[in-house]
Amino acid sequence: MSQANVSSVIPAHEQVLHFPKGQTPSLAPNEWLIWSGDPDKNEDEGANFPPPDLEHGKTKVLVPFTWWIKHNNETDVASKAKQGQIGVWFTADEDILKHAELIEQGRTVWPLVAAHFPIFRDGRSFSTAALLRDRFQWTGEIRAIGDVLIDQLLQGARVGFDSFALRPDQNTDVALKQFDLFTVTTQNSWRGLRTTRATLSA
Amino acid sequence: MYKYDHIDQTLVDQRVAQFRDQVARRLNGTLAEEEFRPLRLQNGLYHQRHAYMLRIAIPYGLFNSKQLRTLAMISEKYDRGYGHFTTRQNIQFNWVTLEDTPDILADLAKVEMHAIQTSGNCIRNITSDPFAGVAGDEYVDPRPICELLRQWSTLHPEFAHLPRKFKFAINGAKEDRTILLCHDVGIELKKVTEGDGSSQLVADIYAGGGMGRTPILGALIKSGLPWQLLPSYLTALLRVYNRFGRRDNIYKARIKILVKALSPEEFARQVEGEWLHIQNGDDNFTQAEWNRVAQHFTKPAYQNLVKLSDEQVIQMANQADRAAFAKWLERNVKPHQVPGYASVILSLKPHGSVAPGDATTAQMYAIADLADQYSFGELRATHEQNLVLADVEQAKLYALWQEAKKQKVALPNIGLLTDIIACPGGDFCSLANAKSLPIAKAIQERFDDLDYLFDLGDISLNISGCINSCGHHHVGNIGVLGVDKDGEEWYQITLGGEQGNDASIGKVIGPSFYADEIPEVVSNIINTYVAQRSADEPFIETYRRLGVTPFKEAAYKDKNEHTKKKDNSVTAGDAS
Repeated sequence: MSQANVSSVIPAHEQVLHFPKGQTPSLAPNEWLIWSGDPDKNEDEGANFPPPDLEHGKTKVLVPFTWWIKHNNETDVASKAKQGQIGVWFTADEDILKHAELIEQGRTVWPLVAAHFPIFRDGRSFSTAALLRDRFQWTGEIRAIGDVLIDQLLQGARVGFDSFALRPDQNTDVALKQFDLFTVTTQNSWRGLRTTRATLSA
Repeated sequence: MYKYDHIDQTLVDQRVAQFRDQVARRLNGTLAEEEFRPLRLQNGLYHQRHAYMLRIAIPYGLFNSKQLRTLAMISEKYDRGYGHFTTRQNIQFNWVTLEDTPDILADLAKVEMHAIQTSGNCIRNITSDPFAGVAGDEYVDPRPICELLRQWSTLHPEFAHLPRKFKFAINGAKEDRTILLCHDVGIELKKVTEGDGSSQLVADIYAGGGMGRTPILGALIKSGLPWQLLPSYLTALLRVYNRFGRRDNIYKARIKILVKALSPEEFARQVEGEWLHIQNGDDNFTQAEWNRVAQHFTKPAYQNLVKLSDEQVIQMANQADRAAFAKWLERNVKPHQVPGYASVILSLKPHGSVAPGDATTAQMYAIADLADQYSFGELRATHEQNLVLADVEQAKLYALWQEAKKQKVALPNIGLLTDIIACPGGDFCSLANAKSLPIAKAIQERFDDLDYLFDLGDISLNISGCINSCGHHHVGNIGVLGVDKDGEEWYQITLGGEQGNDASIGKVIGPSFYADEIPEVVSNIINTYVAQRSADEPFIETYRRLGVTPFKEAAYKDKNEHTKKKDNSVTAGDAS
């Protein structure tokens, strides 16, 4: 990746917070570049905003789902995807139910998917994650990207996210402590049955 | 009433700890105000004109004497000696500090109270009938469903950041006392008889109602939903709203705008489409869950009493008190399901009050004692900002009235013109365009003659200091809305609003008025009613019969030409 396209790349995270279902949260080095997809939106200025080098680049790339829809049949894209180096990310306003077939196909192609938070207080991607888990039975990783702050982590973890690219200014020590703040729940989540029901049926 | 078990208590205690940490991060600067704001709002903490305001949940308006004593203690220790009962059956304190709030919440948790989701763009505190469980016209006691849904909505992760606030009301009686159709979701409970003769509790779901800038009555989108399926259906409904409700414009973000844009039929279809996939899931309530909650809503230990006539009750009073006591019985005492009992409304609307719905520390302690002595230690808050003792023996009404009078909560003005609903307005609220409290006070002072008020009968007058409509002006027979024009406070009048089964949204009558004109304008409107009514016809019916014209003409008859001209440029309302 050259310096020229830095502005089209959401700052890469050195570390990502992982919280797989049934495990404990931890930090791990990030392998995935998040490509914003700007070139498609700025075709006239395309020369300044080249997409990541899909053919030769070694980096794993999360591409915008809308870009995937258009380009997934192209040779270099397909080839990189085959190597498990392409995942997709959904914008907050993406209506994923309109693309059920493509997402079904993606289950065997994408190592992970991500959903974006344009601002922390926009909860649309919570429903996206819930739908991916409930409707599409997505069992792979779902990463929260964008304006991901400490105080969304618990909610995100409950709706279906299991990794978080925290905004770089967030304190990771505080972040890691967010997941066991509550030992009881009063509605179901991706991680389990509500305590109010589980204790009664036990 | 509901009693916390270890699950509820653990959740509330852990919520206090979570918020304590959030406050600490705010105070040490690692959490920016912009990012703290939604967090504190979701725990009821606003930043107002003068200080922080903490709104505490009274789920579906039901609370007990021990809780009221804690509220009284908080008003004394952390605030300025009073609390304000709100139009959503909650209570708020206007003068708390950020630093104190974790301790206040810890004190509340000790008596099974919290401030969870009393603000913010999430599912708010659920409101219901203040006479739930005792009303004579009740089909279904709504409280078990209220409590089940309170728990279901508490800290719901998927719906933590909705496009805008989301309010539930639940009714189970013939008469609607919840303004059901002015809620984002209104749930009407009823019993239906199955083919095998068994009785099933079902819900009709209304969606897309609301007040605010664009008042709309909710539309029926689902009939006969079995109660067990409420969580999956509401998940589907909220998921559609969360995904497609507008987020580009705060004034268009409520669900009513989405329902209106799609049409109720299309919205219902989309919800149904989503629900199809989850309706059989384990989100749904089980009988065991019902039992866990419903066991707490059993009837109190009523005695076997005979029903007394009004005349018999009045005869219990001293001769000198009878006329006044009878007035109180007429307005403030409501019929009860159980013979020999009645429900009593304590008026928090003394004439010339500081603020409708305010109670002082001393009043709160005293009312807690009254609840213990006369009503099994339980209380209810009404959206009209009064308090209810729901289970009073008729034979003790006279004694209660005497005690209530000492506390200045026995004014017999329930449902009368001076039983004004008002938001805190510009005196406190930073959203307000104009003050509401001085207007309420001026109207109460002008109409201080009880005989005259009784002669006028049922009239609701509601005041909101801004278009957010916390004072429910849209459903007042007479509505007063504060508007800002070039930095000046003006007041717009609406007429014809009504709550209850014939709910309707009031119509703006024209250009707005100065504050000091309002009492005269109200007088002119009232005089028109008095002149035109037929015998025993309440205000709203006279209005509906005659239409707005005679009232409008009366309202503007004293408006001077200069003001009229000045005001012509101003639009009446924000019905965008």
